[in-house]
Amino acid sequence: MGAEILGGLALGVLLVAPPFLPSYFLEILISVMLFGYLGAAWNILGGYAGQFSFGHAAYFGIGAYTSTLLFLNLGVTPWLGMLAGGALAVVFGLFAGYLSFRYGLRGPYFSLVTLAFAEMLRVVAVNTKAVGSSLGLVIPNREPAPANFIFAGKLPYYYVILAMTLGAVWITRALSRSKLGYSLLAIRENEDAAEAAGVDALGMKLRAMAISSFLTALGGTFYAQYFAYIDPTITFGPSVSIQGLLQAIVGGAGTVLGPVIGAFVLTPVSELSRAAIRGRAGVDVMLYGVVLILVISFLPQGIMGWTRKRR
Amino acid sequence: MSLLEIDSVTKRFGGLTAVSRFSLGVEAGEIVGLIGPNGAGKTTVFHLLSGFHAPSDGAIRFKGVSVVGAKPHEICRRGLARTFQIVQPFVNLTALENVMVGAFNRTDDLAAARRRAVEMLEFVGLGARRDVPARALTLSDRKRLEMARGLATRPELLLLDEVMAGLNPTEIEAIIGLIRRIHAEGVTLLIIEHVMRAIMALSQRIVVLHHGEKIAEGRPDDVAHDARVIEAYLGASA
Repeated sequence: MGAEILGGLALGVLLVAPPFLPSYFLEILISVMLFGYLGAAWNILGGYAGQFSFGHAAYFGIGAYTSTLLFLNLGVTPWLGMLAGGALAVVFGLFAGYLSFRYGLRGPYFSLVTLAFAEMLRVVAVNTKAVGSSLGLVIPNREPAPANFIFAGKLPYYYVILAMTLGAVWITRALSRSKLGYSLLAIRENEDAAEAAGVDALGMKLRAMAISSFLTALGGTFYAQYFAYIDPTITFGPSVSIQGLLQAIVGGAGTVLGPVIGAFVLTPVSELSRAAIRGRAGVDVMLYGVVLILVISFLPQGIMGWTRKRR
Repeated sequence: MSLLEIDSVTKRFGGLTAVSRFSLGVEAGEIVGLIGPNGAGKTTVFHLLSGFHAPSDGAIRFKGVSVVGAKPHEICRRGLARTFQIVQPFVNLTALENVMVGAFNRTDDLAAARRRAVEMLEFVGLGARRDVPARALTLSDRKRLEMARGLATRPELLLLDEVMAGLNPTEIEAIIGLIRRIHAEGVTLLIIEHVMRAIMALSQRIVVLHHGEKIAEGRPDDVAHDARVIEAYLGASA
């Protein structure tokens, strides 16, 4: 009960406070939400099903490039483009997932294959003129046009990513109370025992992959519209993949709220260390790394695991 | 038609023949014991029946339909469940969640799966431990959990792989009682067991495997006095 009141309060603050925040804090909050969203998307495959993807940048990039290319070349609104990107990401995800799962790639081998798929797409993007090569793509006209996912100021973007994050959390909550959710946890724990108990491991993992890649692609479109610029390294590079999984692992993989909680802890740490240590490039990243090592050493189940233990 | 028909099944791993031309029929409502010295191929037979291995040769039919080439979850859905010799609970899930995974085999509804799981936990005597993570259960309780998870899938045939190994005499008595109650519920049982007293008391029929071959089959008393069986267990000079 206490947790519900706390959650309600937090949601109230997230809804009401942002218009009164200075621009700098609003930007940080948007980052928190985007990373929390990507973490929640990764969590469905990585946290629940235990399939540690190191290559979710593939879906993020597919989303970003699909909606942007459709908008720039055909004038399709990114609101529709993002669904097209999501669909394409699902197709790619199912292809990569089927190949990996069908041939029994588990654990680190699965991680490496997903990383390879994302890198493959990055190299393709770098070498394809039609998608802007390594220069990337710019969305030039920034006249506010809500119908085209272009807003005046940052506040509307905040509410969009807040809604997306709440949606991802809601989906995760529904998943955690469904046959699919229980099946995924069983697969994560012990795939053979899950199969023996009647769990269609391949089918369930592919379902998790489809949901996870779809949501991640929507995040890619949001990124493209918010920053109005994408390039192969930003969207298909390993750092996107790592950001997603970090939020989930630090916050608590395989929990409903873990990834969002993780983002609320990690993003400010990253921002603060960057602000505190100016002029010495890389030191802030080292500090960030130390925080990560501490969290993973002392809270192997993430922050959510820690709160559960104390209950 | 027998519930389970194993027809001259052979399983080779490279040069090793683990099971050789093994045949067995199990009728609905029976309790059949599968015994034999270590390495006789008993667990391999279970792996073959439950879809974890494919036979090199021969046929296996459950309810008249071949299970060769079917995946473990498909076989489970057809009504053939198993436990593992080395218990394999989902250690980070609670006892209830463990059994719910099995219950979801017959329903998509959370509340129905929960009800079924609670019922099965009560049945095996783990009702009070339902919210305990499986990793915190004793070996005896883990074996019960394994049986509850199998039962939650509503099997017609349940394969029990050494559910008494490592337990003390009191726990063994309790498991024997539990197996009788499972049988009374109408579940057919094929049991691998090294605890002779238990398997002799439970089984209507016993099959003896040695070096992958069936060397004896019959009523417990007859099998216990079979010269080849005594030789297999005690060595050639006995």
